[in-house]
Order: sequence, then structure tokens, then C-alpha cells
Amino acid sequence: MLAYLFKRLISALLVALTVSAITFSMTFLTGDPAITLGGETATQEDLATIREFYGYDKPIPVQFFNWLGNAVQGDLGHSHYLNQPVATEIFTRLPTTMTLGFCALLFALVLAIPLGVVAAIRPNSLLDRIALGVAVVGQAMPSFWFALTMMLWFSINWGILPVSGTDTWAHFVMPSIALGYYITPGVMRLTRAGMLEVLQSDYIRTARAKGVSRFSLLFKHALRNAIIPVVSLAAVQFGFMLGGSIVIETIFAINGLGFLAWESIQRADLPMMQAIVLILSLFYIMLTYFADAMNAWLDPRIRVA
Amino acid sequence: MSEVTATSTALSPRRMMLKQALRHRGLLFGGFIVVTIVLIAIFAPFLAPHDGYEQVLSRKLIPPVWFDSPKATWDHILGTDHLGRDYLSRLIYGARISLMIGFSAMLISGVIGTTLGVCAGYFGGKVDLVISFLITTRLSMPVVLVALAVVSLVGSSLTVVILVLGFLIWDRFAVVMRSATQQVRNLDFIASAEALGSSTPRILFVEVLPNVANHIIVIATLEMAHAILLEAALSFLGLGVQPPDPSWGLMIADAKGLMFFDGWLIAIPGTALFLLILAINLLGDGLRDVTAPENRG
Amino acid sequence: MKSVKTSVLFALFAMTALPAIADKSDDTLNWATDKEVAVVDPYFSVTRELIVMGQMGWDGLVLYNNETREFDPLLATSWKWDGNTAVEFKLREGVVFHDGSAFTADDVIYTVDFLVNEANGVPAKSIYNWMKKATKIDDLTVRIELNAPTATAFNYLSNEIMIMPEGHYDKASEGADGKKDFTTVTPNGTGPYKVSESKPGDFVKWEINDAYFEGGAKGTPQIGNVNFRTIAESNTQLAELLTGGLDWAWDVPQEQAIRLDESGKVTVTNEKTMRISYIAFDIDGSSNTDAFTNKLVRQAMAHAINREAIATELVGPASVVIHSACHPDQFGCTEDVTQYEYDPQKAKALLAEAGYPDGFEFDFYGYRQREFSEAVIGDLAAVGIRANLNWMQYRALLAEVHAGKTPINHMTWGSGSIPDVAAITSHFFKGGPDDPANDPLTAAAIERGDTSVDPAEREVAYAEALGIISEELYWLPMFTYTKYYAFSNDLNFVPTPDEIPRFYSASWK
Repeated sequence: MLAYLFKRLISALLVALTVSAITFSMTFLTGDPAITLGGETATQEDLATIREFYGYDKPIPVQFFNWLGNAVQGDLGHSHYLNQPVATEIFTRLPTTMTLGFCALLFALVLAIPLGVVAAIRPNSLLDRIALGVAVVGQAMPSFWFALTMMLWFSINWGILPVSGTDTWAHFVMPSIALGYYITPGVMRLTRAGMLEVLQSDYIRTARAKGVSRFSLLFKHALRNAIIPVVSLAAVQFGFMLGGSIVIETIFAINGLGFLAWESIQRADLPMMQAIVLILSLFYIMLTYFADAMNAWLDPRIRVA
Repeated sequence: MSEVTATSTALSPRRMMLKQALRHRGLLFGGFIVVTIVLIAIFAPFLAPHDGYEQVLSRKLIPPVWFDSPKATWDHILGTDHLGRDYLSRLIYGARISLMIGFSAMLISGVIGTTLGVCAGYFGGKVDLVISFLITTRLSMPVVLVALAVVSLVGSSLTVVILVLGFLIWDRFAVVMRSATQQVRNLDFIASAEALGSSTPRILFVEVLPNVANHIIVIATLEMAHAILLEAALSFLGLGVQPPDPSWGLMIADAKGLMFFDGWLIAIPGTALFLLILAINLLGDGLRDVTAPENRG
Repeated sequence: MKSVKTSVLFALFAMTALPAIADKSDDTLNWATDKEVAVVDPYFSVTRELIVMGQMGWDGLVLYNNETREFDPLLATSWKWDGNTAVEFKLREGVVFHDGSAFTADDVIYTVDFLVNEANGVPAKSIYNWMKKATKIDDLTVRIELNAPTATAFNYLSNEIMIMPEGHYDKASEGADGKKDFTTVTPNGTGPYKVSESKPGDFVKWEINDAYFEGGAKGTPQIGNVNFRTIAESNTQLAELLTGGLDWAWDVPQEQAIRLDESGKVTVTNEKTMRISYIAFDIDGSSNTDAFTNKLVRQAMAHAINREAIATELVGPASVVIHSACHPDQFGCTEDVTQYEYDPQKAKALLAEAGYPDGFEFDFYGYRQREFSEAVIGDLAAVGIRANLNWMQYRALLAEVHAGKTPINHMTWGSGSIPDVAAITSHFFKGGPDDPANDPLTAAAIERGDTSVDPAEREVAYAEALGIISEELYWLPMFTYTKYYAFSNDLNFVPTPDEIPRFYSASWK
């Protein structure tokens, strides 16, 4: 298993390197990054200063390695707009987005796993179709419409939830639902499929023959096995949600990484944009690696492969 | 699970699938809706009562005809938007643009993803290693963010949006095609084609592709829905299709401002989009059920 | 089942978890805009929000009075010009900064010296680089020298030059590049409010300064707390207004404002601003279209666009169509120039005469209030001109404009809220990257206006320049911008055309 993990680690590092190269190349999408940063009234003098400060006057490979070297040491660059180190801003906002992502994941799991179990107990029944329907319906609506509709009903019309901000835990309810709803179908289907498979296994038949209660059968025995792929999917989806939170954070005035990314894009704060894309990608890579490792540990078949 | 009786009157696998398809309610419903919308899009100029681009500011924000309002009129069945443009006409023309975006992005990503996936599955070894690596890299990047960043730096237009989406959403094609090709790879007819000395491209196109085609179709429908939704998200943030072109995503984004007051402005294109996405998903799911049930879930 | 019980509990909890709505009941005014405030310093954060907060936490030497159109004493009690390039101020006695230190001439000297010192890199040079230096006459008298006669000197002193305590920026810590990072200094001013708590990019909370001096132009503040928050999404601002989570917002889109007004739940007003909308043409053909080098085409455009309809239907009741490259309320502005009325038939005839009987296609650039640009494009389409909308972020668009790549750019200019033509016409028509025409005659006329201190002389000079601009259609001036304000029914608040909300003058009903 160590060999497998080591191979996967090398692979993960290579992916990380490639992602950073791609992210870095975003700098040159507009031609001259100094103009993008300097903007409006930048004189030639200003542009030269910018170029020197950010090192844009050096050859590209040198720039890349400098950037990478700095990033590894924790220096993600300097935000032109905020005139501060990028890392400070990002790590101030990261906990907020992580909290949001975590709550969203929790919501998704709490909704999807029971639905998946129920659907698996009676496959192809009306219940199964309804469960699938609930899952699919939410995915067909643009997320901002869904979020704003919730705001309309829960905050304006019924007044039971606050509109925006992050002051209390109640502030996280709607954003978590809006964000988490999108991964619900995937988790539900996986749970259902896993449960279906496990329920037909000998292991379960034996337990049933032994007279184990229905409830215990479902949750202590079957779900425990079926949940394995779900957990790794959840870990991966967490990373995906961190990146997809722009719209939700903007709508609910949540001051997280997604909103920072959006603002950086609007004010063409290149170093910040790049750093965020890089951080999120690295997070995702880390989570997938973690998911792989866990799968390997739990499922002996994979280790040997 | 139906049994296949081994008699001489047995239907070919293809005919069996067709029969199954015709009985699959999800597939029929989804397919019907998609076809209807496509037809509406094609015949837009004949169906739209007005020119969807004509703006008359004095008649802006007329509610749909079923509203209890003095302004409502049968001349504008679905009302008008904030610039006085007929909503029904824009909805009909919008079908064209949304479908076109979905279709084009799907096509581009399909070509990229299928090529990569089939090559990875067929050649295996180092090729597979490199391509899997590419896939993982692509999966690691946050799609919406990258799309936004690129569009904001390069400038948004229909072409840019389609290209950006097409170049970002090929991953599922690649992954599914790869495993489908792997399964087909070791079958006898491939081996005999190779033994006969057929050239590799010939094998790929004549032997492999037709056998994985059903997977392609399934993924294609799902990615089309994905592209349309992504465009709506881009439009919400101001970086999607540009006015005055009426994509449904843009109509929804434009209507967002009055959502709390004139909910119909967002509900109409929103429902249309919702129906389209739902239908495409049902169609895709149905096709998967019928052609490759083992991939379900 | 387990999940049912949980959801009931959840709902019950939800109902008890509403945060206290802070407003009149606890003397807190909550306001929000869609921009982030990362730095609470009026010099190092060049945003409208910091101009507003600047007036809350700090004071200038004078304050512009929108009604009398004169400058009132604030930190200075009186002043006297010595020629055109020096002015002496007598300062107010008994003023203290938030940290308790006394306000004297040394603070004014320090502020001016800090600004004009290039090494400090204070952005937005135009607000201070007209000053040469400040000298101390005595503890309460200061003399400021100018580099050249500047008509807008007092406007800057009122709106932007906030007085910092002596040595204020010396306390800055070092930034990542080894230089002092002036944004790290704790805010400290003489103003009617002081910062009680802030989180960069998130919120800034201000509390009343009980020690604020009496008798100044800002009066005595009434509201105990003024809290700022960033809410980017306009619907969210709306929702907060409707549920009482927000007491004040501006820039409310017209349709939303009308509906809000109808609901009666908030007070809605439409007020003039100094901002105007204009269309600039590519006169010298440096872009990819040379259609606009032809004056007939520009005239056709002027007749094709229904500016009146846009102003009335889309902008707001207080919006007016303008015909000169300036705001009608600005000194030196005159509407007595060539005017073009809405006449699509005439537009088509002119196009045919210019050699475009079937119209033509071109790239139209814009960045702000998309529906206005869309309306313009719709009007152009009606006479056969097909415009492709290139929507960009402001900075990116400005770069394109400076590079001469835009056949047409539909932009706006706020003039920094300065009620003087020098803040707009001089900026755009004295040559340089912002000047679409680079016409020496116009530039010369403007120069005469800028360097004179005689109002009559200035008016004549500017009138000449504006006449040329409208006759030649270097710009097609469009309309004035208005702003919709929406605020709590419990609030007494009066908006002003300079777009600097005076929270220190607001009070509860």
C-alpha cells in the first residue's frame, strides 16, 4: 500500500505543478500584465515600476520559477489593489468559505444519504422516483435563482431567517442549502447504488438470517459498507464546492474566498486571482489524494492494483 | 429484467434497445420536450409574434396577459422586459441561443474529451498515463472561477463563452470514453481487425467508435445541460452572452433585479430553462438506462 | 423518524435565531454599498465610500454648501487670498483629534507636506498636486501656496483634503516590500464620528464623537452609531431594506426604487448628481472603423438616439438631456450650443449622404448601466446602424480608449463632484489620451479659462470651447445621472447632488 500511496503522491505533485503553470499563464492572457494592473492613469513610469516590482520584465520561465518558489514558501504575491500580501487576505477569508462548504456538505449528506437508503430499499418504486426527482429538480435551476427564491420566502415573506451576512449560525442556513443542493443528486445516487449492491451480498443475507433487526441491518451493516465510496466522493465534492461558492457568497454577502475571487476579477487584481485559483486547485488535489488514500485503506483490492 | 429468448425470431440488440426506449417514460418525456424546444428554435422567425430586439421604452415592463393589470394585453402575451421588448419573442429566440451555446460547447468538449478518452482507453500504457494526468489536472481546476477569469481578461462574446465552456467541460467525456473503450478493447472483433492489418485510425473509427457511441450520446446530453447552466451563471455575473442577444441565461440574469417585485420576469425564462435542463437530463438518463444500464448511479 | 424530529427542532431554533435588527431602537444606522472597504483612510483608498467616510472621521479646512454654493468654515474659520497663488487660513480653536491631541497649524502643515511628498506615493495626485507647500504663521494660522492659479482649489480642500494629526503616518508598520505601509495606521481624525470596530473588506463601524466641536459647518451629529457593510448583490440590499436589516442604501436601480416606493416600507428619493453620460467618437480614425471621422455620421448618430426617452424612462425623474460637454450645474457650463433633436428620418438621410445608405456595423464599448447602452444600441439599430456591444470593466475599457481603439465609447464622468467645468471639459479636451479630438483651438480656449481667476473671463473662454465641441460633435453629451436613495422611514435624511451623504446631519424621526 505504501507503494501505491507513493505513486499517487508523485502523481498529485505533478498535477499540482501543471495546474500552477496553467494558473501562472493566466497572467499573460491580456498581453501586458503591467497594463492590466496599472490600469487607467498609469504612465509609462508607473508601468515600469509595476513591471519591476512584480518581475514582469524577466523572461517567462524565470518568472514562473520565482512565483512557484515564493508560493511554496507561503508568499503568494502582492495584491496590487489592496496593497498587501495576497496570502494574508486569502487566509483571513478561507475559514469563512470552509465553514460554508462544510455546512453545505453536511446539508447535502443529511438530505442525500437517507434519500439514497430509502430509494435503495424499494428500487424503481414511486419512492425511488420521487427521491431521484427531488435530487434532479434542484440541479436544473440556476443557483442564483434558487438562492434568491429562498431569500424571498424565508426572509422577506416569512421572516424566519436573516437575509445576509455571517453573524449567527442562522445566517448559514440558506447559503448552505443553496450550495449543498447541487451535490445532493450525486451523493444520493452513489449511496443508492452502493446500498443496492451491498443489500444483495451474502454478508447481509447472513445477517438477516441471523435475525438482526431491520434498522440495525440497514444502518449498522449495510450503510457502513456502502458509505465508503460516498465518503471519498464527499471529500472531493467539498473541494468542488469551495470553488463554486462565488455566486452564493455574492448573494448572501458572505465574505469568503469566492467573493474575494469575484472582486479580484472585477478589479483585475491578477496576483490575487492566480493565488486563489492555485489554492483551490491544491485543496482539491489534496482532497482527492486523501480520498484515494482512504479508499485504498478501506478497500484492500485497490491496494494491490 | 427481461429475458432474451434464444429463438430465431429474437430481435437484434439495436431493435431491443429501441423497444425499451419507447417504453421508458423518462426518456420519452425528456425527448419530447427537447425536440419541441429544438423545433421552436428552428422555426423561431415564424413563431415569434414580434421582433425580439425591438425596444420601445414607453411600453416597458408590461406584465403577462393573465395578470390583473390595466397594462396587460394580448399583443404581448408574456409581457415585455425592461426595455419594452416582447418577452415571448425573446423567449423563442432565446431558445436558439441557449441551444446553440449548449450544442456548440458540447460539440467542442465532446470532440476533445472523446478523442482523449478513446486514445487513452485504446492505447493504454504511456498514452493512458499522460491523458489521465491531463484529466486529473483539468478536474483540479475550479471551472467557474477559471471561466470567469478568462472571460473577464479576454472580453466576453458569444464565441469566447462557447470556446471557454467547450475547453473546460470535456472531462466527463474523457473519463467515460476511456473506461468504455477499455472494455471494448479486449473484445474479439478488435483483435481480428488488428490481425487483419487494419490501420489504427480505421480501427478506431470503424470498430471502436460505433461501439461506444451510446456512451457518447448519453454524456453529450448531460454536458449540454451543464454548458447551458454554466452560461446562466456567467450571465448572472455579467460575463456571459452580451445584450441585446436573448439567451435564457441572460434573460434570467437581467430579470434578477426585479425578482422580488415582478417575479414573472425571472420565472418565465427560468421555467423554460428549467424544463430544458430537466428534459435533457431525463433524456440522458433514459438513454443511459436503455443502452448501458450498468453505468447507472 | 429521526429526521422528522430534527427538522422540527431545526425550525424552532431558526425562529429564535434572528439577530437583533439594529436601527432606530438602538440608535444604529446600518448602511451598505456593493463595494468593499479594505482600508479606512481617505488618501489610500480611492473610492466613493472613503470620500463619505473621510467626511465622517475627519474634517477639511472648509466645507462646500450645496445650497448657497459657497464654502463654509470648518477647521478654518476664515481665509484670505494673497494674489492667485497663496491663501492664508485662520484655524479654529479648541478642536481635538479622536485620540485627544489638540488640533493646530502643525497638523495642517504635516498633512500638506505628506501629500505633496512624492516618496509617499499618495494616489489620485490631482487632488493635491496643485499645492506647493504650507507654512506656519502661528499656532492657528497657516499659509498654503499653490503651484499655479487653480480654480478648483477650494473644492479639493472641501471634499478631499482631510486633515491628519502631525506624525500620523509615521506609525505605519513596514509592508512586504520593506517600505512603510501607510494603510496600517489606526484612523485618527477630528471628525464627528470615530471608528469603533472594523474588519477590512467586511465592515466598518463608526460611533459618535461626543467631543466634536460645535459651530462648524457639519453641525452636531445626532445618530449614535453608523455601521457600514458590503453587500454586493442588489437584491440582497433590497431584501435587507425590506426586512429592516439595512437602513440606508443608494444606487438603487430605477425599477426597484419605484417598486420600493410603492410598497411604502422605505422612503425613496431621486436626487441629481454631478455625473453625466456621454458618447465619445473616434475622430482621427485610429480604431478599426473610420465611419466616425465623418461629421455627417456623427450628426446622424446624434439624431438617431432618443436621449429624452432614455433619461425619462430609464434614468430617473431628475435626469435631464444635456447638450454640452459638462454638467449644467457646473460653473462655466452653458447649454447655448448646437443642439440635435431626436429625428430618425434625418439620421437616415444623413447616413445616406455620408455614403452609408444601408447603415454600417461597428464595435460599441461601454462599462456602466448596461441597459442605457442597450437602449442606445436599440435606437441605432432602428436607423440601420448595427452596434456590437463590447462590455468591459472600467479599467480595461479605459486602456482601450487611451489606445484609441474604440470607435465609440459610452462612458460617464463624475467630475469628482466638483461643480466647475475645469473638472471635466479641461480633463477631456486639452489634449492627451482622453481627448478624442486633440483640437488645438479647443485646447487653447480651455487653457484661457483654466488660468484665469476672473469668472466672467472664464465663462467666455469655456463657452467658446464648449461651442466647438458640440458643433463638431467630438462628444455626444447624453444626460445627467441621478441617484436613487432608499432609506428607513424612521430616518431624516437629505441627499445632496455631490454624492457625499451627510450621515452627520441625519437624525431619527
